[in-house]
Amino acid sequence: MNVPPPRLTSLIFEVTQACNHACLHCYNVWKGPQDKPYPGGLLDTRRTLELLSKALDETICSHVTLTGGEPLLRPDLDEILRFLHARHTQVTVISNGRLLAPQKVLALIQQGVNLFELPLLSHRREIHDELSGSPGAWDAVLSALANIRLQRGQVVVSFVATRKNIEHLGETLRLAFAFGARGVMFNRFNPGGNGRTHLEALLPTVEQVRSALAVAEAATQELHIPISCSIPIQPCLVDYALYPHLSFGFCAAGSERAYYTLDPLGNLRPCNHTNLILGNLFDEPFGVLTAPERMAAFTCATPPFCSNCSLRLECQGGCKAAAQVCYGSLTTEEPFLRQGQETAIKIKPATTTAIPINLGG
Amino acid sequence: MALSRRDFMKLVGVSIASLAVTHCRPPISTCYAPLPPSLEPTEPVTARGRLQKAWLSFDALAQATLDAGSQGTTENTFGQNLVAGHRLALDELLVTGELTTTVADLVQEAYEAAVYHVWRSNTPMTCYEPAMINYSPTSAEILVQQAQVLDELAEQGTIDPDALDKARTALEHDLAFYALTDEEVDALYESIVNDWQTLGQSMPGFEDLALEVPPEAEEAANFILVLLSSR
Repeated sequence: MNVPPPRLTSLIFEVTQACNHACLHCYNVWKGPQDKPYPGGLLDTRRTLELLSKALDETICSHVTLTGGEPLLRPDLDEILRFLHARHTQVTVISNGRLLAPQKVLALIQQGVNLFELPLLSHRREIHDELSGSPGAWDAVLSALANIRLQRGQVVVSFVATRKNIEHLGETLRLAFAFGARGVMFNRFNPGGNGRTHLEALLPTVEQVRSALAVAEAATQELHIPISCSIPIQPCLVDYALYPHLSFGFCAAGSERAYYTLDPLGNLRPCNHTNLILGNLFDEPFGVLTAPERMAAFTCATPPFCSNCSLRLECQGGCKAAAQVCYGSLTTEEPFLRQGQETAIKIKPATTTAIPINLGG
Repeated sequence: MALSRRDFMKLVGVSIASLAVTHCRPPISTCYAPLPPSLEPTEPVTARGRLQKAWLSFDALAQATLDAGSQGTTENTFGQNLVAGHRLALDELLVTGELTTTVADLVQEAYEAAVYHVWRSNTPMTCYEPAMINYSPTSAEILVQQAQVLDELAEQGTIDPDALDKARTALEHDLAFYALTDEEVDALYESIVNDWQTLGQSMPGFEDLALEVPPEAEEAANFILVLLSSR
């Protein structure tokens, strides 16, 4: 039987594991304490283009997000972009902005980069620099934002909400707006990678997140800037109805809107937050690696806390990748839920039969 | 530049969809004008009529996607129905011998790419994907508000003056459009509306694309253009 190729909204490609920042909240799976070190290294240009070609040939996918590490540190990034441009693929670049000088921005846009995603962690230089682990990061990202707008590029800003900066959200949104950001991602800190070593210092409380969402709700109406809460926030912890102008997202793993992640060596993962490797794309077709039975352990996992919740299939308990990398299990409560479950709102119990969890084979 | 037939047809579909829906970035970056509303014909009887209607339904698809998104769903039921109806109409033309299978498949490929593009451009985000950006230019009021906030922040004296200058320059570029006189804006609108209605200048001629296009792909692309220009 011919199985149609997977249709993907987007594919994430980690072009390099190298980075010139040392963000306290970094979720890169190769960072932080490791029981078993995550594979490191880089394919050469020819093999990298073969890898991308195989990924695009074996899927229906017109959008690739290049991330890292810091993708601009990869010496052959231009060749990768030329390849993707020739394949008529839309490209988003996630960068810290440090290397986005005017000419570089122009070159990237001319090579087909449709959207840049940059962090803006505070309106205060010292806080952004501290969270980035890199002096000068704040000035660099503001300069990058201005350079992108000057070259008529499109940019969205990512605000990672931690205990250190969550109270700065309002002013930071104004700064992002003034510098022409076309949208803001409000990402509550999702521990992983190096971020796990700062979990207690950075993880905001549920009450802090609720207050920040109220600030975001007011800002999106005042500034007319779309704000999306990209990292899942459990509806039992936050009443979405209080923030009607914000977008809330859930884990999309296993669906068309999943953000399968390819690492620099061709290892494919269900998303960029998990270190669970489905296999290497050079060894097996994309459709086989992402077949339901291969993905089942990931997609079917929900924590016990959610077992009677009617929203568990949508919410899935939040970010199961965070549960896995922090506590070693996809089916335990992830850190934000674990911290806030005592304040959870009662969601009506599920009336449907629980879906049996097939842990694959 | 060598293009596969499939890729070429996807480009055609996406280009037409972008032209038809103001929520998507048009292929001409300086085009700031809204496009004329699409016609709302009664249900066509002929296969060609239904195909034409399908190609003129991108505004409705964009709206349906936005409506679905506001209700918390990213399902593309409307788009799937459009794709299915388009295929059925093409199959009728296959039966009558008006199209070959190859050309019909390429036209379908273009249409599916167009539907996907419109849906993708209007559906809300999911986990870790940025909210979809409306690529239409920011309104003058927003730009003025941006300038005011930028001035407020500048007065605090903490932002690098070079970055501030570049941000101001970018704003001035955008504001320049709104400095056009009413007559200039009217002339621009009229020009773009005419281009759209005649499908002349907005869409480059296929011979002008300097692409190595296989003859079947060119035939399929021309079929779509004839379809759209025969209202």
